[in-house]
Parts: sequence; structure tokens; C-alpha cells
Amino acid sequence: MTRFALTVLFVSACASAQVSFEDISKGPSEDWLTYAGSYPGWRYSPLRQITPSNAKLMSAKWVYRVPDARGLRMSPLVYKGVMYATNTNAVYAIDARSGRLVWQYRDVRAKGGGVNRGAAILGDRVYFTSSDNYLTALDRRSGALIFSRQFADVEKGTTSTSAPLIVKDKVIVGSAGGDSGMRGFIAALSAANGDEIWRTWTVPAKGEPGSETWSGFAEWGGGATWLSGTFDRETNTLYWTTGNPWPDFAGAPRLGDNLYTCSLLALDLDTGKWKWHFQFTPHDTHDWDAQSWPILLDMEFRGRMRKVVLHANRNGFFYVLDRITGEFLRGTQLIDKVTWASGIDDKGRPVLIPGKDPTPEGNWVCPSVKGATNWMGQSYNPMTGLLYVLTLEQCGMYNSSSQEPVPMKNFAGGGATEEGGQVLLRAIDPKTAKRAWEYPMTGAGRMWTGTVSTAGGVVFTGDDDGQMLALDAKTGKLLWHFNMSETLTASPITYAVDGKQYVAIASATAIFSFGLFEPAEPLTPPKVTLGK
Amino acid sequence: MRFGAFFLIALPIAAQHGRYVSESQHPAIGDPKAIAAGAKLYALSCPGCHGPDGSGGRGPNLVKRSLWHPLRDEAIFSAIRNGVPGTDMPPTKLPEDQTWNLVAFLHALIGPASENNVPGDAASGEQVFWGNKAGCSNCHSIRGKGGRMGPDLTNIGGSSPLAVIKESVLEPSKDLMFLGNEGATVTLKSGKIVKGVARNRDNYSLQMIDEGGELHLLSMADVNELKILDHSLMPGDYRQRLSQDELRDLLAYLSRQVARPKGTIRKANNS
Repeated sequence: MTRFALTVLFVSACASAQVSFEDISKGPSEDWLTYAGSYPGWRYSPLRQITPSNAKLMSAKWVYRVPDARGLRMSPLVYKGVMYATNTNAVYAIDARSGRLVWQYRDVRAKGGGVNRGAAILGDRVYFTSSDNYLTALDRRSGALIFSRQFADVEKGTTSTSAPLIVKDKVIVGSAGGDSGMRGFIAALSAANGDEIWRTWTVPAKGEPGSETWSGFAEWGGGATWLSGTFDRETNTLYWTTGNPWPDFAGAPRLGDNLYTCSLLALDLDTGKWKWHFQFTPHDTHDWDAQSWPILLDMEFRGRMRKVVLHANRNGFFYVLDRITGEFLRGTQLIDKVTWASGIDDKGRPVLIPGKDPTPEGNWVCPSVKGATNWMGQSYNPMTGLLYVLTLEQCGMYNSSSQEPVPMKNFAGGGATEEGGQVLLRAIDPKTAKRAWEYPMTGAGRMWTGTVSTAGGVVFTGDDDGQMLALDAKTGKLLWHFNMSETLTASPITYAVDGKQYVAIASATAIFSFGLFEPAEPLTPPKVTLGK
Repeated sequence: MRFGAFFLIALPIAAQHGRYVSESQHPAIGDPKAIAAGAKLYALSCPGCHGPDGSGGRGPNLVKRSLWHPLRDEAIFSAIRNGVPGTDMPPTKLPEDQTWNLVAFLHALIGPASENNVPGDAASGEQVFWGNKAGCSNCHSIRGKGGRMGPDLTNIGGSSPLAVIKESVLEPSKDLMFLGNEGATVTLKSGKIVKGVARNRDNYSLQMIDEGGELHLLSMADVNELKILDHSLMPGDYRQRLSQDELRDLLAYLSRQVARPKGTIRKANNS
């Protein structure tokens, strides 16, 4: 009887835990509850056990080899000691202390492949999207399927790769596939059952405002939304970026600015209605999607406090916008070498240098097609006031093609290659756009790792050579490194279990979790009996 | 009330033994008329050795095979036409089109139960599933309702042949791959007791889901004693507990559980 009572008490204590909108709104703590850690997109944690003085004592705690993984890009979630990681059409619940699998869900019926950037969590449910556009809700404790609802047709060129963003009772999902023709959208689905609440298209239909910026191909014009966005609770506004116009490298079939591709959109959470938009790269012909984080910040700008959104763009410039009005405040070079535009004018439009479009014989332009930065998570640290952005100093050759564009045939209207270059982690003061420090990396310019920074004063990121790094957030001084010997294309997180801080990141094929070194304690195996 | 009426379907890893390679382009495969014609042919000659539902007898179980390599339609065709030398399986003199009808039937039989018209009243089976007599939902969930200790059955019809589902209900401990489904009782050094299913364990940690469906992530350093059952937590008395009609209806209900039912594919307005 006593044993039974104890069991009931223990179970009761566990049963009350549920993730709420308020929990997500508070930002990271021991848990990490949304892709970027918090709604403003800071990838910043208040954890402070690991510091510049003890980071040298970090060591690997566990590795979980993700089945069939080849190039993981996901950023995991952690709730109550369980890590939720994704691969294409699969979710893995992992004991965040030991790295042991708790459950897995693999949707073998899903069509197609591609990458997956992560899951979302609310209540007792873990959500993810499949490559063929199903939103699937799973029980966080057992992995049991609660619902799986399709929100877009894969046969119209749309796939899904981004982590859903959960705000209040809505699961916000995006769309991918803009490199082979599709029409981008952002949709809000019911967290309860997957019903569609609203859908906002990122490329206007014929006759709608903005359609005059397309001479053709708007119905397949891209503007994919393959990275999840950020949310301003105060104004109930979603901030979401859009991808390139299609065909990527052929501008002639789609003359005009091609709204609303390569843009940042501000949408009302409840209705999906447009508040404002800002287009970074009008009539893009270099595949410079605007997919990098719109980071929300209240900061002093030219003598007065402003509610701003920061955006380090693939086109080589670093933008500051007023996030209430969309007003352009400042645009400065993110990287040293930009050859397609001489700057950004007073209205935020690039000042073009003629002759930089792709040509049949190839045109050498900086930045390369990979962009000055990309989708990997940047981090803003309020303790240092610095934004940590992985940047790529690289140029590339852009070719155009005279082939007839055929949607969904993987036709990009040309192609691009890149050569050489260097990845540098840069710490930027958003007030001045000046660099506080930079950490140059050795490598082939192939790795795309995000960052996470902490109240302990450490920035964690990945090297261009497959190493996990800890850097001093104030100075950029290298504190610790660990060779994972794999291509890194994911963003790290940090979490805590039982008062111990961990830092986790996915390599190409596995998830690594690190913490401060602890000597192994002798473990006496318990009595294990097999019985009837 | 130790483990009570827990209904843990032992979804065997062995379900994959019957996995079919759907490479054949023969028009009979998937054709309802061909399958129906094949069913008649099967009923005439095959149940004596392979059982009425393909679950075997004197001859091998056609649905849950012991070999890991997947089946091919052409191999089945060849076995029917030519027999299997050195065994009791004789060659047949069926014409080619009728042989393909039989292959189409076997293909359907080995495929997911949801793709076959499993007999029974699914509505009555639903009541059996959620009722107290069977108690299935104490441990199993469908679309988020029910217990969490046993395997989720939301897609059981979409992933398993009928014969596998049936065996899992009636003989839950047969061929059970225990790891991940072990019934376990843990006594912690603190004195707490946790009962449930060990979803994973090694010498250093234990991941359990308890009778209430909650997760426990335990370090073996905190465990005093671990008792592991040598059989499934699911009761093995459903042949007695349920009438034949109830069992048939339950199987009809389970066979219709599919995560992605046909006809639900959305055609988004992309224009």
C-alpha cells in the first residue's frame, strides 16, 4: 500500500508538466522551447554555469547517432530533460542527460526528402512538418501520433523544411521549394487539430497589389518561407523572411522588383494580414534569399529608443529597420567585399553597380551564391550588447541559361559556383554596425553553423573545419574546441538538467552534447531480475 | 491489480518479415477484381497448408515470414507455377492470368490491413476497443486518446497486415522483441517504485514510461532493484475474454486505423 501511494505521488508530480505559451514567451531557462530559443530570436540563454574561466574544462557528455542522417540542419528542443531532435520525416526523443533514445517517430509514408530544421512544442505535443507538407502532432512522452494533416500540395512544388513556430494556439508553418518554381506562403494552423486558420501568400496573384512587379511567372515565382520567424508579443506581430524569385538566375522572364521575394514581412498573428514589408534585394538574380533571422530588439538609435528588427542579409548588407512601421533606418556592409551594389540608399534600396547579373559566360560577383550569411542562427547577447553572426567572405561565378523555364523541373535559369573564401564569426554592435571582434576560421567555406550565447559570457558555435568552439563573448578569445570531424550545418543550443549546463549541436550525422568535465563515479549495477 | 488488464499489443519487429516490395508493374496487383478472384482461388486450394488467412499450418506462414529479405511478386508467381522443389509445395497448372490473380491476393494479404476489406463491424469494434471488457485503451492510444504505456495504434492498419495484428492480440508474447517493450518495476534507492515499460535501458540509465503514461529518466546509480518481465504486459487471454464476434469486430476496427487515410490529400489552391 505504501509503495502504491508513493507511485501515485510520483506520477502526480510528473503529470502536471505542460508547455504553455507563457513558458515559451519567457525564453530559454533549463529548457529550450522554440527553434531560436525565444520569440525575439536571440538564441541567448541565461545559463551561467559555463564561463570564460571554466570553459576549458568542457568535454563531450554523449553522442546520439541519428539514423540515416547525412547532413543534419536541425536545432533541437529540450523540455524537462528530454531533447526533441528531427531528421527528414522523423522525430527523436532523447534523454538529454544520457543521450539514450526514449522514442522515435518515422513517417515512412512521407514523399520526398530534403532537410528538416526542427520541431516545436506546446502542451504535451511535439509538432513537426514532413517533406510532403504534413503537420504532425505527437505525444511528447510516448511519440504517439495525435494528428497528421496536410497543409500544402507537394505536387505544386511546395515542400517543408522549417521548424514550425508555435504562438498562442497557432502553429505557424512555412513553405520551401523556391528553387524549382512554387508559390510561397506562410500559414497558421490550429495547434488543436491542424485546421488552417489563415494563409498569406508571399507572391501576389494576378491583379493583387505587387503583381505589377512581375512581367511573368508570378504564379511560380517562389518567395519561399523556409526558415521560421520571430514574434513580437507586444504588437502581436510575426516577422518572416521570404526567399528568392524563380527562376533564380534568369531575370528576363520576370522583369520588375518581384515582390514580395527576398523580403521581410510583418504579419498580424491573428489574421495573417500584412502590416508592412521590406524588400532587401529587388529583382534578385543571385539566389540571395532573405532567410536569416529577423532579430527583435529595443535599442537606442541616433539618440532615441527604437523598436527595431536587425537583419544580416545574404546579399552582403546588415539592416536595421523600425519593426513597428517597417521604416528603413540603416544598411551597412556585413562583409568586406560586396561588388554588386555600392551601398544602400536612404530608402533602403541597393545602389546597383551595372553589369552584375548572371551571363552565359559567367559573371564574377561578391558575395557568392551562398551569401554573406545564411539561415544559421545568429545570437544577440544583452550582457555584451553584441550580435554574433557567422559570415562568409566569398565570391562566385554566376551563369545564366537561355533554356525555357519549366516549373518543378529543378530549373534555376542558370547556375552558380563559388571558390575559396573564409568563414568568420563576427561580433557586431547593432547600435553602430561596427565590429567588436571577429574570429576567422580555417576551412573550405563549406560549413554553416549557428551560434548560441549565454549569460555566462560564452558564445558557442561551430568551426568551418568541423570543430565545436567556445569563445569569450566579450573578446572573441578562443576558450575551448572539440573536433567532431564532420561537416557542421546546424545551430547549437544550451540547456540544463539537474543543475548541470549542457551545450548541444548536431553534426552531419549525430547530436553531440557537451558539459563541464566531471570525474566518473563508480557505479554499482543494481540488482536486475527477470521474472514472470 | 499488479499490471491489471493492460492491453499491450506486441507490435513485433517481425512485422517487417512480411514486407512486400511493390515493384511489380503487373496490372493484377492492386486490382480489386483480380484480388477477389485470387481470394476464391486461394480458398479452394491453399488454406489446407497455409491457413485460411495465410497464417500458416502445415505450410509456412505467408504473412509473417522468417526470412528478412522482402518478397517479390515474380518470386511468388514462380513458386505457385513451379512449386518449391524439395518441399510439399506442388506446381500448379493455373493459367498465367489466374496465377497473377492469386499473386494479387497474396500481395494484398501481406500488405497493410487497411488496404484489404477486413470483415467485421468496425463500429462495434470501436466500442470493444474503448470499452472496459477488453481494456485496450488503458494502454494504447489512437489519435491522442487512450493510454501511453503500450504502442500507439493510430497507424496499425496502415502499417501491419491483418495476420500480424491478429497474432499481436491473441499471442502478444509470441516473437516479441522485448527491448523497448519490457514490462519493468523499478525500486529506487529513495524507496520510490515505478512500474511500467522500459522504453530503453543500459547499465547506466533507464528510460521508462509508467502506468500513468509519464516519462521517467532514471540513472542506474539511483536504482536499487530492477525487475524485468519475461513476457509482454499485455494479457494473453483475449481468445477467452472476447467472443468471436467481438474479436472479429475489434480486428476490423484496428485494420481501419490509418494515419493518412486515402482521400485526405489536400489540393492547395496554389494559383
